[in-house]
Amino acid sequence: MKAFVTMLALTCVSSTALAQQLDLSLSTAVVTFPGSDPDTVPLVSAAPVQVTYRVRQNNRATWSLTILGAGDLISGPSRIDITNVTWVATPAPPFQNGTLSKTVAQRIASGTGNVNPSTIGSITFRLANSWTYSTGTYTQTVLFTLTAP
Amino acid sequence: MPRAVPLFLFVLVIVAASGRPAVAQTSNATLNASVNGLARLSLSSAAISFPDADPDAVPSIQATPGAINLTVKARTLPGGTVTLTVVANGPLRSGIDTIAASNITWVGTGTGFSNGTLSAAVPQVVASWTGSGVRTGTQTFFFRNLWSYATGTYTLTMTYTLSAA
Repeated sequence: MKAFVTMLALTCVSSTALAQQLDLSLSTAVVTFPGSDPDTVPLVSAAPVQVTYRVRQNNRATWSLTILGAGDLISGPSRIDITNVTWVATPAPPFQNGTLSKTVAQRIASGTGNVNPSTIGSITFRLANSWTYSTGTYTQTVLFTLTAP
Repeated sequence: MPRAVPLFLFVLVIVAASGRPAVAQTSNATLNASVNGLARLSLSSAAISFPDADPDAVPSIQATPGAINLTVKARTLPGGTVTLTVVANGPLRSGIDTIAASNITWVGTGTGFSNGTLSAAVPQVVASWTGSGVRTGTQTFFFRNLWSYATGTYTLTMTYTLSAA
């Protein structure tokens, strides 16, 4: 009976010690789309955002980096649907291009195992420009999430 | 009874491993987008002509090459009014002879576009609507043909103004 108790305790401690360690940071907390003429600049690009990430003690499990908009771009009573924001991400893989959503987190990057040391990816957000937008300064928050497994 | 111990151990180990917590790291960013006021007007033709005609047979001469296509693009505040007007720089002139600009009328088509009579004194509304966007319409001009006009080749200049408020 004593041997059984010891073995059980070792199993639990080992599991806790192997929990993944994830690190995520962005080069900037603000992404700005400058005002542009829709005829000459149909797709407005913001300055690239550098994403630094590290995944440790992940063994052979998968990891993923996602992004979710907290809502549409808003300026007072005016809205621009967040799906008008797309991104181009490099390197691919593990990064991939995509379109923002306010309902479903969209994958920016994914992989298997560890990413160590820290690695940098680049994300360039782009806003589909349109004459239909009302004038104003629009804003919205997006949430980056690095998860494993 | 001795076989019960290994079975119990196996079950416990599986439960402990599957209970390994998923971990996540998050980071926020704010998107800012500036949308500035902007307006653009495009005309399919920069010149129209009214061919000579017998006033009895053609009392109203339609301009050639026909309807002018107008493309109006504007960005404005929510609920803002977009207005397109036209004004003549004076009467039709041929040397010392003149014909009042009001002898030129137009028929407008397209949502927000209206008919009108040209004026050299007061800009006349060609089209008007609310909010940002792209609108298209046409303007077909007509010239009132009269026996009283002196012969000659008459010209005037029209100026379109697109405003958003």
